[in-house]
Amino acid sequence: MPVEPPANGGYAVAAYIVAAVILLGYGIGLWRRARKAMNGGE
Amino acid sequence: MSPDLARANAVVRRGFWISALAFLGIAGVYVLALGFTPVEARQGVAQKIFYLHVPAAWCALLAFSLVGIVSALYLWLHDPRLDLFAASSAEVGVTFSAVMLTTGPIWAKPIWGTWWTWDARLTLTLFLFFLFVGYLALRAAIHDRQERARFSAVVGIMGLLLVPFIHLSVYLFRTLHPQPVVLKPSAPSLPPEMLRTLLISFAMFSLLYLGFVTVRYGIGLALEARELRDAG
Repeated sequence: MPVEPPANGGYAVAAYIVAAVILLGYGIGLWRRARKAMNGGE
Repeated sequence: MSPDLARANAVVRRGFWISALAFLGIAGVYVLALGFTPVEARQGVAQKIFYLHVPAAWCALLAFSLVGIVSALYLWLHDPRLDLFAASSAEVGVTFSAVMLTTGPIWAKPIWGTWWTWDARLTLTLFLFFLFVGYLALRAAIHDRQERARFSAVVGIMGLLLVPFIHLSVYLFRTLHPQPVVLKPSAPSLPPEMLRTLLISFAMFSLLYLGFVTVRYGIGLALEARELRDAG
């Protein structure tokens, strides 16, 4: 008999959002720091 | 713009292009993992967290291993570029660790029934994260460049010593954490569709590591160039 997978997609969506926020947040932070470093003092 | 600052600018730009390409690739991984990779029968959709968690863990351990190796080289060669690379890799490693340490518990809750358990793999990984947060704090606290490089190199090497224990912890200790499915002596134990998504994710996360480290290295070069110019 086929097994019905558990309904836990909300956890996957939450993890994908959290990962995107951390990586994009760090990327945006680097961009700001790079601009400051290029235009004068950090 | 001085030649040193122009060179730093070129490095930063290169890093941003690599990062942008990697972000596009990771967006593709999201679509591939959520829309075109089969749902695991026992774990359900939550298993798909694996396509982010495992590549993030790989990048974190790669980053910290390189910090240790490059730090040892710094103590030998005293080249400030090695110290700058170590600082860049440590910071990026902490970012990937944050992804690993947040996506792991989100997977664990529906699968294990708990957000966290103090088993060997999880505890050692958390220690490694704190060690490198301490590494960054140490760097921020010391202003003498050579002293900062020397002290932080020692901490970086300590971090490297933890990495093999973390990888082997699932074999050395009784642990809830799943054993490796790809980085192991025998062939990968995954269906081809899942393995394809995981390998693409590994490639895109590694590219993002390269992009972030390149930008961070370029920022360090720019700050050094400004310091030298202001001092002169």
